[in-house]
Amino acid sequence: MDFKYSTALYLIAGAVILFVLAQSVFFLIKAYKQGRTLGLDKSKLRNAITSSALFTIPSALSILATIIALVPALGPVIPWVRLSVIGNLMYETTAAEAAMEAFGHEGGMAVAVSDPEVYAGVAWVMTLGICFSLVILPFLAKPLHKKILQAGKKEAPKAEATENAPADGKKKRSLNGFINDFATPAIFIGLIGAFIARAIIGSGKPETFGDGAGVLSIITLVVAIVVSIALEVLAKKLKLAWLEPFVMPIGMIIAMVAAIVFFNILPEEIAMLEWRG
Amino acid sequence: MAKNKNKTYFDRVHSWGRISTITALCALLMFPIGICLYLNVFPPINGILAGLLKLIPTYWTVAVVEVIVYTPMLGAGGTYLSFVTGNIANLKLPCAINAMEGANVKANSEEGEVVSTIAIATSSIVTTIILAIGVIIFAPFLQAFTDNALLKPAFAQVLPALFGALGAGYFIKHWRISFFPIIVMIIVLIFSGSMGASTLLFVGIVASVGGALFMYKKGMLDRVK
Repeated sequence: MDFKYSTALYLIAGAVILFVLAQSVFFLIKAYKQGRTLGLDKSKLRNAITSSALFTIPSALSILATIIALVPALGPVIPWVRLSVIGNLMYETTAAEAAMEAFGHEGGMAVAVSDPEVYAGVAWVMTLGICFSLVILPFLAKPLHKKILQAGKKEAPKAEATENAPADGKKKRSLNGFINDFATPAIFIGLIGAFIARAIIGSGKPETFGDGAGVLSIITLVVAIVVSIALEVLAKKLKLAWLEPFVMPIGMIIAMVAAIVFFNILPEEIAMLEWRG
Repeated sequence: MAKNKNKTYFDRVHSWGRISTITALCALLMFPIGICLYLNVFPPINGILAGLLKLIPTYWTVAVVEVIVYTPMLGAGGTYLSFVTGNIANLKLPCAINAMEGANVKANSEEGEVVSTIAIATSSIVTTIILAIGVIIFAPFLQAFTDNALLKPAFAQVLPALFGALGAGYFIKHWRISFFPIIVMIIVLIFSGSMGASTLLFVGIVASVGGALFMYKKGMLDRVK
């Protein structure tokens, strides 16, 4: 049996995940009790639980899809832990690729890791690469939070004054303003854009199909973008709030279905064409 | 100054949060240690460092930015939970905002803190359970599923599908700052097509943040928020 599917690995992963689950349950109970102490309605608190659970389902399914996407290369256990603890759709695929590159694993995500040493190395790199936020959080969260609470109290009258002030045409463009409004989207666009650029013009190994840019990667990319934008516009125009959380998973699944359909209907030499190997 | 024996709810949340974050970090580190011990393999430190060197410039910087950016939006309890369970921008944050709007409470009020924590805790529990069920129940079929000849082309193209769908929303909302980094990365790839994802995304983030900062300073983003 493939070592990546062994029961012991599932148990190691299960123990880590159970701990994280217990933490969430602990915070949920404490916050619920505090809500009752503050006089918040039971129905209000229950609604928060129900709506959050429903809101989460489509995204959780797309996270599950990412786990499935990583399974051929890494088996189920590493992706399961990495996407249950700290993990993120974007970071984990990148981290897995970087780790495999570092251990000389050729073919990237398209080829299964069969050497236990590389497998363990990938687990180390993915864990240490992502865990820094947990190292700094205990030091930064409390002072930051206190500052925000104080700033919130001072900011309210200031905001009113700004609204009433005559427009002089010159807006103050501070570094703080940039960080608040644009730093995170810019970082995300850099991350997402790297994979999009690779799907357009990146090269892979000549002997491996699916790791380089080609006809199928472009079709999949375009379908994913067009379907997601169309659904987003549809949800906004028709005010279908329930559709919004499903836009990303539906766009992704339809794009993957498009890859299967076009792979089968296009002549083989076109379907398998990768311009740079 | 006399020490206040009656800690506020926020103080208690920070104490629980700090303890649980440190224990979560230890639990997380037990995972690769457990793998090494079970498989009886000890990967060379050089390989681990080489992999980390590709990630650290980006990921550790992103970690600092994320803690600074998200903490004000998530509240105290929500922050600790979100950073342990991940998927903040695409799940935990929208979920907390959704719940606070639904409950008609303000973020950074004690009511907002409570509702945000409830939303994020619920979201984390539901995600963890769905992933566990998905992996444990479907694990025996996952390999067959992903190796299936008919489905193989789809799984070979999962990255364009995932990042196309994920990117679409960002590109609509932030199209002004999207063109420059993508064009830079395409040019980089024309000359160095096999550049690893991690190096490329570092280039992408530098181009993206640098381009956006330039546009912001020039007033080209004034009407956007």
